[in-house]
Amino acid sequence: MSMPRASWAHWSLLFFLSVTAHAAAAEEYTFDASEFDKKPFELGGYLQFKQENFALNRGGAFYKLGNVNQPQRDSLDRTTGTMELIGKVRPGIGTFDFRTHSDLVRDQVTHDHTNVLYEGVYSIRPDPGVTVEAGKKTLRWGKGYAWNPIGFVERAKDPNDPELSREGLVMASSDFIFNREGPLKTVAFTPVLLPVGKDVNSDFGATGHLNPAAKLYLLYRDTDIDFAWQGKGSRPGRFGMDFSRNLTSNFEMHGEWARISQFARPVTDSAGRVTIGTENATSYLLGLRYLSEKDTTYIAEYYRNGTGYSEQQAQQFYQLVNTAFAQLEQTGSSALLPKALSLTQGAYGRPNAGKDYLYFRAQQKDALGIVYFQAAITAMMNLQDRSYQVTPELFYSGVKNLDLRLRLFMLQGGSSTDFGEKQNSRKLELYARYYF
Amino acid sequence: MKKLLWLILCLIALPAVAALDGTQILQKVDRNLEPESYETYRKLIDMQPDGSKKEYVLYTLKKGRDKVVALFLSPPSDKGRATLRIGDNLWLYIPDVGRPVRITSLQSVTGSVFNNADILRVDYGAEYNVEAAEEQKDALVLSLKAKTGEIAYDRLKMWVDKKLYLPITIEAYAASGMLIKTLRYKDIKDFGGGIKRPATLETESPLFKGYKSVMLWSALKKGTFPDEVFTLNYLPRVQELRK
Repeated sequence: MSMPRASWAHWSLLFFLSVTAHAAAAEEYTFDASEFDKKPFELGGYLQFKQENFALNRGGAFYKLGNVNQPQRDSLDRTTGTMELIGKVRPGIGTFDFRTHSDLVRDQVTHDHTNVLYEGVYSIRPDPGVTVEAGKKTLRWGKGYAWNPIGFVERAKDPNDPELSREGLVMASSDFIFNREGPLKTVAFTPVLLPVGKDVNSDFGATGHLNPAAKLYLLYRDTDIDFAWQGKGSRPGRFGMDFSRNLTSNFEMHGEWARISQFARPVTDSAGRVTIGTENATSYLLGLRYLSEKDTTYIAEYYRNGTGYSEQQAQQFYQLVNTAFAQLEQTGSSALLPKALSLTQGAYGRPNAGKDYLYFRAQQKDALGIVYFQAAITAMMNLQDRSYQVTPELFYSGVKNLDLRLRLFMLQGGSSTDFGEKQNSRKLELYARYYF
Repeated sequence: MKKLLWLILCLIALPAVAALDGTQILQKVDRNLEPESYETYRKLIDMQPDGSKKEYVLYTLKKGRDKVVALFLSPPSDKGRATLRIGDNLWLYIPDVGRPVRITSLQSVTGSVFNNADILRVDYGAEYNVEAAEEQKDALVLSLKAKTGEIAYDRLKMWVDKKLYLPITIEAYAASGMLIKTLRYKDIKDFGGGIKRPATLETESPLFKGYKSVMLWSALKKGTFPDEVFTLNYLPRVQELRK
């Protein structure tokens, strides 16, 4: 006796559905941790594709200085491919951690690539409370989100992307942790030795120095407190402190304060006469982070940059640039141009070279009711000249191992202002980052 | 004499719940659920209304009543992230950011229905006082009130298995009285070392209709850890504690 064809199909379908349903149910609630055992070698990282469109600010001082004797453009399209490899090897008693960074950049002007070892550090832990490390490492000191006045032994953070990985510095450091009961729960001491020579950390400061630095961390009555110090050497000596505390469960407050002794800073007038002023510089930051009931996070920070330039000093520099290019246009050469270029590569060309800044960011989790979708808006303002930058942002991480981010930078400011003289007036940026 | 005998008989006949007060029941629940100090691996599964899933694996250590550290082992985009809790203080360490930032118990580091208070849960008795204990047919029901305003949920209603003294269902309420989420413990499993407890926790929230999150336990065992492990400076090194 044979079963009708339709019946076979019916039973086959039922069997398939029951097997797949059973498999799905089994998969849903099965977890064996053995596949996550510690391994002698681990490797991961990410691949990123980034596309940027710049609306160039043809009248801006930094556009002019960056495009001397170059074909003039109104816009630029840049494609950047990035790969970071993050790994860990456990040879013998210690651990070797590394992070490599490779970039491939293409636009109408530049074809470039870089391969940099961001970190490569060997650590040993003779005791849970003691760690000794040597190699290239990124230290990140301070509590500020956009800026860190006490980030004494690290490369400067990009306030436009504060969570971006950064290249480290070659150093030897230790970490001593002490825990106790009572209001002072934790004490941690981190001494650092940072050599600067022709081939080692040469961009840190004057060569031929072994720079000492240290940080003392305290968790005292639910408040994080750090005291930081860097001895005089390749850079002038400096010291400072920070704190962070939750005032309520959804409201955090933080601050930083730093003082640099005898900081030498070039100041120019509009005729290119440069004087080196040496004085103590005090920088500080006060910030807060607030989470609303609707899952919106607000971050606000005020930053006083003690090594920055006042509105008047910056205006003198922009006048110098304008005079230099007017000379170039009229005579075909300009004696002032090399001076302006030299100052741009130094203190005047820093991302935030002004004195007073305000930073504000609001980010909405699960925006529009979409899980893993985040909408944010960031604003940064130079409080002295009132120029500013506003950046709306969309971020989605709902696809496994893939992050997508879209940002639009809109810079606003008149002539001779911080954001009004930048190289671009707008930038549209889209990246896709795949983790492996 | 007859009256005295009658009184003694009545006392003997009283149900067990009368012999144990609510605080004692909660203490038993805490210890049956987990040893005071332990290490474990957990998988968090977030399920979306369209059926798609996102999974996280965490290595977790707890010491005493209020110290917990959890390290993300998977997925690759979150690997190396670590969260620390000491009492009401919570921090998140992201390798690229490189330094711990303070977070709140109401947020979720995974973006799931489980918030940080669920993921870095300390003893219930460390956060809540028992306001009332009631006996039902199959369960003991505890009404819990947060000790401070810093706790993620203002009130909990906990159904406890009468024989095993393990939680079955917990309803979490905001100070306004609104139900925030329901947690359901399932699948009693023997982890060895005298630990027999639910291996699965499911949660749903009326605030996230259609979404569901599940937490699975594996390799749960008692442990002793130095206090230094539960500090900000140690967060980048927690993964070296794994065997």
